[in-house]
Formats: sequence, structure tokens, C-alpha cells
Amino acid sequence: MSAIASPGPSGGQPGVGAAAMPQPGAVPMRSGRRGAELAMLLFAIAVVLFAYASVGLGLNGRVPSGIATYGLPFAALMIGAHLAVRRFAPWADPLMLPLAGMLNGLGIVMMYRLQEVGRNGNPGTLSVPLSTSATFIQIVYSAIGIAGFVAVLAIIREPRTLQRYTYTFGAIGLVLLALPALLPARFSQVANTGAKIQVAVGGFSIQPAEFAKLALAVFFAGYLVAKRDVLSLAGRRFLGIDMPRGRDLGPVLIAWAASLLILVFETDIGTSALFFGMFLVMLYVATQRTSWLLIGTGLFLSGALAASRLIPHVAERFTVWLHPFAGNNPSHSSYQLVQGLYGLGYGGVLGTGLGHGQPYWTPLVQSDFIITAFGEELGITGLMAILLIYGLIVQRGLRAAIAVRDPFSKLLAGGLAVVLALQVFIIVGGVTRLIPLTGITTPWLSQGGSSLVGSWMMIALLMRVSDTARRPAPQPIQDEGMTQVVRAG
Amino acid sequence: MNHALRRMSLACLVLFLLLLINANYVQAFQAGSLANDPLNSRTFAQQYQYQRGPIITSDGKTAAASRHISGVYSYQRYYPYGAMYAPVTGYDSLYSATGIEQAENRFLSGSDPQLAVRNLIDLITGKPKKGATVQLTINSAAQRAAYQALRLSGRASGAVAIQPSTGAILALASYPSFDPNKLAVLSGARLNRNDRRLLNDPRQPLLNRAINQSFPPGSTFKVVTSSAAFSSGKYPSPNTEVFAPTNLKLPNTSKQLINFDNLPCGNGGGRVPMIYAFTVSCNTAFGNIGMKVGGSALRQQADKFGMNDPNLKIPLPVSQSNFPPVSDPALTAYSGIGQYNDTVTPLQEAMFSAAIANNGTLMRPFLVQKVTAPDLTPLVNTQPSVLSQAVSADTASKVESMMVNVTQKPYGTAYQSAGPPATSIQIAAKTGTAQNGINNTGLDDAVFTCFAPVGNPQIAVGVVVKGGGLGADASAPIAVKIIEAYLSSQGKQ
Repeated sequence: MSAIASPGPSGGQPGVGAAAMPQPGAVPMRSGRRGAELAMLLFAIAVVLFAYASVGLGLNGRVPSGIATYGLPFAALMIGAHLAVRRFAPWADPLMLPLAGMLNGLGIVMMYRLQEVGRNGNPGTLSVPLSTSATFIQIVYSAIGIAGFVAVLAIIREPRTLQRYTYTFGAIGLVLLALPALLPARFSQVANTGAKIQVAVGGFSIQPAEFAKLALAVFFAGYLVAKRDVLSLAGRRFLGIDMPRGRDLGPVLIAWAASLLILVFETDIGTSALFFGMFLVMLYVATQRTSWLLIGTGLFLSGALAASRLIPHVAERFTVWLHPFAGNNPSHSSYQLVQGLYGLGYGGVLGTGLGHGQPYWTPLVQSDFIITAFGEELGITGLMAILLIYGLIVQRGLRAAIAVRDPFSKLLAGGLAVVLALQVFIIVGGVTRLIPLTGITTPWLSQGGSSLVGSWMMIALLMRVSDTARRPAPQPIQDEGMTQVVRAG
Repeated sequence: MNHALRRMSLACLVLFLLLLINANYVQAFQAGSLANDPLNSRTFAQQYQYQRGPIITSDGKTAAASRHISGVYSYQRYYPYGAMYAPVTGYDSLYSATGIEQAENRFLSGSDPQLAVRNLIDLITGKPKKGATVQLTINSAAQRAAYQALRLSGRASGAVAIQPSTGAILALASYPSFDPNKLAVLSGARLNRNDRRLLNDPRQPLLNRAINQSFPPGSTFKVVTSSAAFSSGKYPSPNTEVFAPTNLKLPNTSKQLINFDNLPCGNGGGRVPMIYAFTVSCNTAFGNIGMKVGGSALRQQADKFGMNDPNLKIPLPVSQSNFPPVSDPALTAYSGIGQYNDTVTPLQEAMFSAAIANNGTLMRPFLVQKVTAPDLTPLVNTQPSVLSQAVSADTASKVESMMVNVTQKPYGTAYQSAGPPATSIQIAAKTGTAQNGINNTGLDDAVFTCFAPVGNPQIAVGVVVKGGGLGADASAPIAVKIIEAYLSSQGKQ
């Protein structure tokens, strides 16, 4: 983890100097480390297949018969993704694909484990039972996710090309974000919650916020790169910090208002915090002004506090967070949180083992609370491993952001990496009672296609940026004397 | 921008550190209290995934067992005899347990440290985990007779039978009882419905009257008063003549103590042998003896019989039988005939007779004979132990001779119901008819304590039938049925 704090430019990226002063003939083609990626990917696939076998052994004492039907497609998808990376982003970071693939695979394994609850003589009942095809559907979503991953890598060959569509992506992002709020509740409300965050037609639903996240990251990056000089102008000094000029407060106020609108109309504090957090972080990275972070955090906290007073749904979240075991809360308002905590406590240090726990007591364990199922069956050991996988993805993303030279790509990668960290923090912190619980998906693990596809597309963007950053400088054409043709990038 | 990105890296590091620390806090530090929280269904439901150990009687009948079912749970608890054994086994529901199910849970569930090595071996060899077998001291014939007789009475009642020489409890019955199968259902909704119905039942079927409700002992307390009298030396023998007026004037009050139905004691001459006063149960004679012996001596004697003990466990916790300190002579007189504020459980009634039958030595009552691991290695084998020396062997034989007359003399209070007209077994007994309610307007409680056979005591029985009327009429026949059932099962009638 310490590497997050100190990613130097020594990590093998071509430095500016190398491009400016090439040593003709002396620069060997450095490896894109695709072989390492494949090795680690095979290791991740092996871990997932073992986990899958372990579920079957834990439940029925037999290796599940579906190990071929579920395991082989997953392995094929991962290998396919790897080949696509070889083709379209040969210099991309070799760790991201195995890390994301491992999470995706573990999510499929847990989906199979939860699908077996109450079936084939296995104990328990889920509050919202999974269909017998839940695992299969999750694999289909994984396939769509990998398709999105490959598509992003294939279509976007240079991250900077996205900058041209800054406002297009801004409009797309806003529409996606606002869609559930504008639609009638019967299309957009998630069953048994107050949250209006999906678009459901028939039995099929997508959560547009997962894609809005990506579109808005592109928009913020493009917008802030253009405006960062103005936004970083200092105004008055206040408490030793340079405050921005009053007239420049517009964008942050608009973003804040938008996040509050999400909060009010979609009653979804998690998504609201995620988007506003992403905007703030990118604003801070673009301007390097701490004051923006302070102003933004202050605005968000006051907004959230007001919401906790005014919106019952939000107020209840705070009560549940502060007093989950008080009075009859455990059997009513905090039932889900408390059941999740019981599961974590029941798992203890080493966990019950896959298939041996009782994660089915926790309502919606297959979506928002999936991390408690891992904590219960794999123990704190497994939970920490999963958190470290997320941490590594974030670190690799930030490393790509630091290494890449173009400011737009820097902002985009930095924003995406931090928003992943924020999302993991909000949902894992929520179910482990570190912060108030807000229902957002756990990337790659939760049931559902939107999150899976969105997460894979995000990884594709990060890998695209890292590919740009790690791509060796073009070789000078020797015969043209002092004139060098430098390929863009 | 790299400077800001590095700071963001640090911020992300802090976020992940917070998550890791909090996860450790929840799963390592809080884990124990979370896992053992009474509301944590996981810990309780775990036992339905493997076979919980059975509870069997001393003669091998199954009182509780787990049977394999198909469905979400692998095993369900069932109680073949329903309400009959409920006061003993208790129940084991999704949310809670009572009775032996609770007291011996660590063996039945297999969580006792003594079973840890076997569980580990089973885990490695892939054998399913099983709980240990708990064998009760209960004799199925005595238990059946006790429950059926109580049910026949139709009144709130409790009966306990003890083996005097060991303290082993042979029968422990309560009526009205409940069917534990109703609480062993594996649907939370059905369980709640059945539980609420039992809790709201005005007849209180969940109350274990054999050990958890105490009643006025009435004249059965004369066993204790007599024991105190002989032990004090003031009354050397059963034939000692005692003061037995028709009305006993009490000091410092206008009230007078009278005999049952205001009858004279004996021929009304005012003095009778103590054994006669005991046999016909003269209140005036024993009220007077109580005053002569004194409140503190009575209390000491009661303590030696096991009363005033809040900590008795068999291993089910037993409600205290009370004999509060009394110093006022008039109230001491009432205490001497078991009609002041002293109360006893049916178990305590059995313990009175058990101590007398066992030459004055009161054995500690117990319900669990042995515990056997699934591989048949014994884990627990209860050795009988002495609870207290209630009276000397000499005193015990004197009290016994008086208790024999109660059933064997035609004028004895239990001659018709527990004497030769009723049974061929020689029973030593004392009847009690405890007055009740404000100004004694309630129905009398029928109380009976006895042991049999005289000369070779095998069983001591205590019975209380609330509102049953005369102890001799309502309770004695129940005790006789239990004794007959037990002795015939032992082939010693």
C-alpha cells in the first residue's frame, strides 16, 4: 500500500527527458509486461475456480458439476480480455486486468453460493431469492462488461480524443443521472427502498448512474482542464488559505446543487456523495487549491445534515448508524445492518469457509451487503484481501495518472481512481458501520449488470491512460538529422 | 497536478486504512459479542445444520431427538411424548431454549470443550458433527404415571419423585403442560404464533409447577416440625404426650388455632401421644409444638431439609422453598402447621420424605445421569452427593414411624387413599390441605409427601394439586399411581 503514497516517475515510464533527448539505438523496446499480466490472470482464474469448488464442497461435499459450465466461460472471458489488451493497449498496466478479473470472478462465485441458498437441501432463505439462473446471468453480464472493456480499448485509442467531446459527455452524464428522477417511481424506484436510481422496463433494469459516473468524469476532466487557470486564481486569504474569487464559485455551486437534487429527488445519499466527491477531487487536482476541497466538503456536509433533518429516509440512516442495537432497532430499522454485522462477527478472523456460513439472514446480501457475505465466509482475512485488491486497483490508477503527461488524461485517470476508492469506502464503510449506510453497488462483486459493465469500462479507461503513459517514446528517424518526428502522446 | 495527485493517493490510503482498521475492529474485537448476541440467529440456527444429541430416559426411552428433514434446515427437534416431558426437556426453538435443552446445551450441541477434539477429527474425516447424548434419571413409567395422573386431576399441579438413596429424580411432571414440538417448528412466523399463544394462555402451560412454583405446605410441614421437635430433645419419642386442645389460644392475639373442621383432637381430653396427633393431623398439637420448639429452630430444620436455598440446580434452576424467619409465638404456631408464609415446591415435598426415608440424609436431587459422546465415551457420570444431614437417623426413624401410621392406621388421614384399601404397597406419608386465598375463601391446595416401600424405600414422592381440596383425596392417589408404576417397572411390587 505504501506505493500509493510514493509513486515516483522511476516506475519505468518514459520520462520527459527521454523523449527530448533520445539516445539513438540505445533505447531498447521495454516490455509491456503482458506476460506478467497473463501469469497473474491465470493465477486469478485459478483462485476463482478453487473458490467455486470450495463453495460446492462446503455446501454438498461435492465439487459442483457446473465448474466447467461456469468456470470455463469465465476463464475464456478473461483470456479474451487479455488478448484484447495485447492488441489494443500493449503498454497498459499489467496488474489492473488480473485484479479486476479476480473481483469479477469472486462475485460470480458468491452469486452461485447465494443462488444455492434454500436449494438442493442447503439451508436458509433469502429475503429476495435469487433465480436458478442468477449465476448464469452474472456471467452474461460479465461478458457484456468485457465487451464494453474491449470496446473502450478499441474505440478510444488516445484518451485525449475524449476531450473533444467534453460537453457531449456532460450532457449525456446529466441526462443519465436525471433520468430516474424524472421517470415515474414505478420505473425508477428500487423495490422496498425509497431510492429512485434505476430505469426498469419489464424484468430488465439498468442503473444509469453507473454510466453517468464515467461520462461525468470525462466532462469534469475536459471542463476543468480548460478552466483550471481561472479557477486557481487566488482571492482573499482566509485562515491562512487562499480562497477562490467569489465569481469563480459558480461551477462548484452548480455541482453542489446537482448533488442535492439527486439527494432530494432520488433520495440516494450514496450516489450524491459519490458524484460530488468526484467533482471536488478533480477540481482540487486541477487547481491544486485546498480551499476548494474545504469549501466543497463544507457545502456537502451542511447539505447532508439538512437532509438528515428534513428527509425521513436520510434521517433514519443516521439513527441506524448511531444506534443500531438500541431498543427494537435491531428487528426493525437497523435489521439489515445488524444482520450484516452479525455475519461479520460470526465469520471472525478466518471465516466459516465458503458455503459454511449463513449469509442468507442479511436482506439483500447479494447486492449492497455482498461484502458482509465475504466477511462471514472468508473472515477478516478474506475481507482484507478484497479491500487490498481494490486498494491496488486505485493505486495503479493513480500511478497511471501521475505518469501520464497530458493534463486531461491525468485528471480523468485521477478522478476515476479516486471515485473507485470513494465508492468502496462508502459501501464497505456503510455495511461495516464506519459511516452511515447508503446503498450503492460494490464494484464487480454486487449482483447486477450496470455496475459490472460500468466498472469494466472504467478499468478500460484507466488501462488506456496507463498504456499512453507507459508507451515508449517513438524512435527518432535516424536519417533525418536533427529533425525528430515525435508521435503524439 | 502531480502534487495534488500524490496527496489524493495519501487520502485514498487513509480511506483504505480506515476500512481495514474498522473491519478488524468489527471482526476481531467485536466478533465474540456479535456472534453471541441473543438476536444473532446464526449462532442458534447453526445447530439445525447437524444432529443435536438426543435426551433419553434412564430406561432408554427417547424424550427429545433430532430427525433429518429435507428443506432449508437439515434437522428438526422432536419430542415423541409431547407435553409429558416438557417440564424436564424444555424446548429448543429457533430463538431460545429452556429445561435440559438449555442446561445441557453445550453437550447436546457438541460445543463443549470436551467434544472439541472429536469434532476436529470428524471435521477432518468428513463425518458430520453430532451432539452428545444426555441420559436422564427419569423413569419413563413413573413419568407417564405422574403426568397422566396430574392431567386426570384437571387442575394446576406438580409432582416429583426421587430415589431417596441417591437423589436421582425419577419423575418430574407439571400440569397444564405444553407440547414442545409446537416450539420446535422451523418457521419463525409459526414459532412466534405458537409462542404467543402459550404465553397468553391464562393456565400458564409454560410454568414448570414441579420446581418453579411454590405452594403453602399445609400439614405436610408437620414432618419438619416433628423433626425439629425430636431433634430439640423436648419431645423424646412419638409416644410422648403432647398438649392438643380443641382450640389453641394464641398469645398476644384474640385468634385461636383450631383443627380441621373444628374437630377435637382425640377424645377432646387435651393430651394425646404425638404419633396420634401426627396420624390424624391435629393443628393445635403441632401449633403448640411449633411454639415450644421456637421459630428459629423450625427455620434451621427447614434449612436442613433444603428450604431457603435460592441456588439449588438439578441442573434446572429450582425456585426457592421459603421459610422466612418468624419470632412471634402466634405466627410460629401457624408456621408449625405450614400455614403462615412458608411455601414449598413439589420437589421440596419429595425432598422431605426422601430425607426421612434415607435415614435423615438428604441427597442432592439431580436429573442428568450421564452424558455420552457420539462415539460412546462417557463425558459425565453423575455421582450421588449429600445435600445435607436433615435429621439424625434416630429422628428419621421416629418420624417414619409416625408417617407409616398415617396410611396404615384406619384413623390415619391417608388410610383410605394410600393405605391398605388403596394399595398393597406400604407407604409412609403425610397429607396436607393448605388453606388459601383471602380469609381462606379459596379452594384448598391438596399436598402430599410420601415414600415407599417402608423398610426398603425406593421412591419418595411430593405432589401438590392447586385447589384440589383434601391432600388425602386429590394428591395421595396421584402419588400412589407414581409409586406403583415405578415399583412395577422395577419388578419389586
